[in-house]
Amino acid sequence: MDWNLIGIWVAAFLTLSIYSVLYRDNPFYRFAEHLFVGVSVGYGIVLSIYQGFIPFAWDPFVAAVTGESPTGFIKLIPIGIGLLFFARLSPRHTWLIRYPIAILIGFGAGIAIPNVLRANIFEQTRGTIAPFAEIAAGTLSGWGIFEAVLMVAGVICTLTYFFFAVEHRGPVKWLSKVGIAFLMIGFGSAFGNTVMGRVALLIQRVDFLLGDWLHIIQ
Amino acid sequence: MKRQVPLVLCFVFGIVMIFTQFSPHSFSQGIYEEVISWALIIGPFALVLATVTLIQTHTARIRRRTEHWQYSFVVFAGLIIMVLIGIPFKPQNSVFEWLYNNVQLPMDATMFSLLAFFIASAAYRAFRARTFEASLLLITALIVMMGNVPVGDLLSNDTASKARQWILDNPNLSARRGIILGVSLGVISQSIRIILGIERSYLGGGD
Repeated sequence: MDWNLIGIWVAAFLTLSIYSVLYRDNPFYRFAEHLFVGVSVGYGIVLSIYQGFIPFAWDPFVAAVTGESPTGFIKLIPIGIGLLFFARLSPRHTWLIRYPIAILIGFGAGIAIPNVLRANIFEQTRGTIAPFAEIAAGTLSGWGIFEAVLMVAGVICTLTYFFFAVEHRGPVKWLSKVGIAFLMIGFGSAFGNTVMGRVALLIQRVDFLLGDWLHIIQ
Repeated sequence: MKRQVPLVLCFVFGIVMIFTQFSPHSFSQGIYEEVISWALIIGPFALVLATVTLIQTHTARIRRRTEHWQYSFVVFAGLIIMVLIGIPFKPQNSVFEWLYNNVQLPMDATMFSLLAFFIASAAYRAFRARTFEASLLLITALIVMMGNVPVGDLLSNDTASKARQWILDNPNLSARRGIILGVSLGVISQSIRIILGIERSYLGGGD
């Protein structure tokens, strides 16, 4: 049995089933939609077990039981904390779910502060003002100077638009208006890139249907 | 026990993650890596709980015979097949890979490509150049789209892709930097509020 050929037919059937919703809701689309949910969740569980639970919890624990690495017993603590998620299923003990959630939230907040400071604030600020060092050294062309000034003006104006501590009147209002113009250019770029990304996916699916499945195009 | 302990846990884990990132000492780095592994262990349990909730929801749909209840069996079929093949035989198993390549991947790409149609119809309704800002958004989107396809350069003698790149590297980047800086300041202030226990909404209501 040629499993590659069966795979192509299955993929083509599911692709057409999903596109059938463009006409209207129908049983083929509902079938594919529900299958997609089930398969995606199953795939996510398998990956999280093999990429998270087994290497970080199960393997060290087994190593501790076999005497290879006694420190592996410490993994029983996060396993126990993780099991508290299932307290959600018992109305009397639902409050226990706050423990793992609090740990994950605290972990996320703690890891975010230095990383966001480093990557998003220091690096972005540095990238914005770095060309001025070249201006000072006299190595930047006239057009480069214009772009550097435009960059700083755009960042300041965009930040002014989001600055609600002062009333947007007078010069602040005008800076804010320029900020909106920059934001619109940013949103337009994001929209254009998103559309092209989705169209590329559409072209890839049509290419699959006409090429791999029907062999109309090579 | 019900509210104070979670607040203390949140504070301790938050502070540990901040300080261990600033300290290059091997002891500090050991704690940092251990806490990261703890988060990676605890995380999958949340996914399993979410799956249990999904199963409960679809079981209830079948029991109550709500509209389209038959499709809940399809959800179960997809979930059970992937788990029964993936967990005992590992993700590298050929059947699991076949299911991923011929069932999940095509549906994933098709679902996302559907947005091309919806975004086009939404743009038709929303993209009316009634104001200066809307016109700016429309023109930028058109230039970026034209600069992305070969026909754009063919019609404009390579101007479209150059204009697209200039927009992406200059006004677009400055707007994105403004947004990133604003969002980052918000993330930091919110993280501090969470660690210090000022923001407690994640604890939910009740005792």
